[in-house]
Amino acid sequence: MILDRLGKELLFFDGGMGTLLQAEGLKPGELPETWNIMHADVITDIHRQYIESGSDIVLTNTFGANALKFHDETCSLQEIVRTAVIHAKTAAALAETGGREIYTALDVGPTGKLLRPMGDLDFEDAYEAFGEVMRCGAEAGADLIHIETMSDTYELKAAVLAAKENTSLPVFVTTIFDERGKLLTGADVPAVVALLEGLRVDALGINCGLGPVQMLPVFEQILQYTSLPIIVKPNAGLPKQVRGETYYDVLPREFAATMREIVSQGAAIVGGCCGTTPEHIREMTEICRGMPLKPIAEKNITMVSSYGQSVCFGQGSKIIGERINPTGKKRFKQALKEHDIDYILKEGITQQDLGAHILDVNVGLPDIDETAVMVEVVEELQSVTNLPLQIDTVDAKAMEAALRIYNGKPMVNSVSGKQESMDVVFPLMQKYGGVVIGLTLDETGIPKTAEERVAVARKIIKEAKKYGIQKKDIVIDVLAMTISSEPEGAKVTLEALKKVREELGVHTVLGVSNISFGLPGRPVINSNFYTMAMLNGLSAGIINPFSEEMMKSFYAYHALMNLDSNCEKYISRYAGISSAVQDASSGASKMSLKTAIEKGLKEEAYHITSDMVKKQAPLDIINEHLIPALDYVGKGFEQGTVFLPQLLVSAETAKASFAILKDSLAKSGGQGEKKDKVILATVKGDIHDIGKNIVKVLLENYGFDVIDMGKDVAPERITEKAKEENVQLVGLSALMTTTVVSMEETIRQLRKSVPGCQVMVGGAVLNQEYADMIGADFYGKDAMQSVYYAQRVFKGDKKEKMRLS
Amino acid sequence: MDTMTKEAIRYLGYGKHAVDDHTLALISDSFLNLGTAAGRKFIYRIFDLKQMADDKILIETAEIYSKNLRKNLKGCNKIVLFGATLGIGVDRLIRRASLTDMAKAVVLQACAAAMLEEYCDECQDNIGRELKPQGLYLRPRFSPGYGDFDIQYQAVLMQMLDCAKKIGLTMTDSFMMSPTKSVTAVIGASAAKEKCHIKGCESCSKEDCAYRRDTI
Repeated sequence: MILDRLGKELLFFDGGMGTLLQAEGLKPGELPETWNIMHADVITDIHRQYIESGSDIVLTNTFGANALKFHDETCSLQEIVRTAVIHAKTAAALAETGGREIYTALDVGPTGKLLRPMGDLDFEDAYEAFGEVMRCGAEAGADLIHIETMSDTYELKAAVLAAKENTSLPVFVTTIFDERGKLLTGADVPAVVALLEGLRVDALGINCGLGPVQMLPVFEQILQYTSLPIIVKPNAGLPKQVRGETYYDVLPREFAATMREIVSQGAAIVGGCCGTTPEHIREMTEICRGMPLKPIAEKNITMVSSYGQSVCFGQGSKIIGERINPTGKKRFKQALKEHDIDYILKEGITQQDLGAHILDVNVGLPDIDETAVMVEVVEELQSVTNLPLQIDTVDAKAMEAALRIYNGKPMVNSVSGKQESMDVVFPLMQKYGGVVIGLTLDETGIPKTAEERVAVARKIIKEAKKYGIQKKDIVIDVLAMTISSEPEGAKVTLEALKKVREELGVHTVLGVSNISFGLPGRPVINSNFYTMAMLNGLSAGIINPFSEEMMKSFYAYHALMNLDSNCEKYISRYAGISSAVQDASSGASKMSLKTAIEKGLKEEAYHITSDMVKKQAPLDIINEHLIPALDYVGKGFEQGTVFLPQLLVSAETAKASFAILKDSLAKSGGQGEKKDKVILATVKGDIHDIGKNIVKVLLENYGFDVIDMGKDVAPERITEKAKEENVQLVGLSALMTTTVVSMEETIRQLRKSVPGCQVMVGGAVLNQEYADMIGADFYGKDAMQSVYYAQRVFKGDKKEKMRLS
Repeated sequence: MDTMTKEAIRYLGYGKHAVDDHTLALISDSFLNLGTAAGRKFIYRIFDLKQMADDKILIETAEIYSKNLRKNLKGCNKIVLFGATLGIGVDRLIRRASLTDMAKAVVLQACAAAMLEEYCDECQDNIGRELKPQGLYLRPRFSPGYGDFDIQYQAVLMQMLDCAKKIGLTMTDSFMMSPTKSVTAVIGASAAKEKCHIKGCESCSKEDCAYRRDTI
């Protein structure tokens, strides 16, 4: 078993395959894996050469063998994988090994596709493609699975899960970092380490992209973060191009010398990638074999990650933004009920802009499918923010679904000291990885004293250990009880915080604002308690970053405690703030709302509207000021005196005013009039949605209720939604000739199932003729045309009258 | 005003009109953001080119049928396959802006397109310099989707260049590139120096296009 030797003695991988095959006559664009069948002897011989050069592990010739990348009519994928394993095993039997044991690693490379939402590959489809190959490789007798050259953490996660769930083989993983220590999709070293350790791979490291020397800084970072055996497989230097041909120029001796250095620093498995040959491997094994392994120190870092970055606890306090949560928030509840995902995403983006480090995500509401919404919100948030997320739910199904599709190592909120809770949550953490919040309450409730809360924390940590979950992956929430009913509440919490940090050595979180429940002026209490909590060891506060008082406490605490070097963050936030605010409000009074909107001055429009709403009815402001301003800009756009960016700046400005008026309407109990619904979607296969988004902003401005279904939307889903919402108008966009086909199909289905519904279309490749051909009712050559058409469709409505008045 | 800014303004539909200060500020802001978000990468390979009868050209084993491309490549005996991308960070940046500020999103989109073109030009200049000592001169870039050069050939180009692994450029099932701000193209190389080195826009047959460079 390779696992008996892993991390105890130095092991050697083989070197490059592609370069050798090209020398044997592999054509550009030809699938190297077909050679397993067409030129079996060549493949077997390359393996033999590597084994005789000293490789202990050989990689099968299956790098691109997955259903998404490998399309060949002459041979089946199963056959390719099966023969690949046989060739490696045959080579091991043929080669002179001097009695060394040789392991066959099933080589798994990327699919060559990007996952949703940035690309069009479903996470589960990627998973299935990997799973198929892995089952096949395991059946054929592979000794381990080596997932390599991965440049996207999301695809990597699909591959590792597939390996774990479809086979019982050891899993090795290497990713491709650039010189800045980043993956192509943005992840840094700790983010990759966090993800892979969470998924419990057996060894991890780096391959391809760089030569041995350039890999050193990245390798050193891996050493700093991981507690697992490290694999290093460089290219024979940085790729160089002459006349369009790639070549590598680090010679075997030089390669071997650097690899020796890498081993002495702590690598456990070494080999080569592109451009390396049996000669490179021979030189390397000759000068490295028998070197003792440097023991890997257990790292005690509490770390969460997203696709693009990691957040490590310690060094000051972290902010976990609490805004994505319906509790006590009417507007958020409404967004959830109306499936207004954009609203939720904006809450995420704004919290990031305000300084949050991690975002809590809670979408629990009776009457909604929490699992489905949780998955959708997590997926969408991942495409607009690189902050790690905290999955917050009491529903085990929703928790597992979110953990599965989460791109990184998440926070999880939460487990408690109740046996039932631990029985449910810990197996999930064991499987998917993550940092879980342990609430110090159990079957008997929330203990009154600090000692008792620490005891519950201790119980949680002990139980987690049974699942192999380490202390560093648990953070404790000692719970804040409101001082309005628990006079000693704050004191107990602060004491418990201190004890947990000092006695148990784990990090802490706290939902800070509970402390003031039932009291007036809550921010006063909250922000002061927040400072006290940080002083007593609060590693991360779950707070509202919109609250200026809380942020003041945060910045002041870090400046005061020398956790903000040279008070840099404090200064950049608070220098010059007061004068800016004054400027904005003083200039506002002299301008009319119409001018502010026409010029696209958001701040001014906001202040003017706030003033106006005190004196005038919201509907009058809309009809007399907002709509005329928008019409003026819209006409200018038509006449070619106003251009798209200006049109949109005005639209965004008007939106700010509308928001104030809507609030005011809601407060006075008046219902806004019932709005006309329009569905917008970018058709199936199309991932370019900027045009649709432009139309959306304008339609919303003109008072339509836009149901935005997003991009790459199947005809069936659009039809179903149109039927369900009984809409009269659907707007479709497509960018390419290849996707207009889906547009045509969507129209066909709409005609059949929702006969009364009008369809307007737009997009770069369309024109009137094309639109007629696919049976659309209207072709919008620009965004304003779509607005005018929508108004015609709903003619007779108040809105149209308003516009004409 | 630099070329990239001018091109961005053209993509935004300003034509000959002067651009307003607010938009100009958005543009310079966008280029700053893009500078941070972009992870520019490119790849190229050079092949022998065989021009057959019936508008067929042959690059190694790959067969391509296109009248327009054949015209573009007339007299060439070498062909450069080319791929370039601004990286996925740009897509994320634009997506984020679409939620918070649509005007910014539209400007970012135009600036990214201008940045990509400029980057491709830079790459092409470098390739051209490299080939000059061999007495080879480059033609204008020609991409799948231009004229009758079918978009489906994008798959062939990307496979021959190994774009996904080398520069992180992938394609959806409907031949859209992801990252979206990416280019694949072929560039002919011939021993004779072509007199006019027209860039893509002017050579397009859609003469009523609102964004066309030579009529605005």
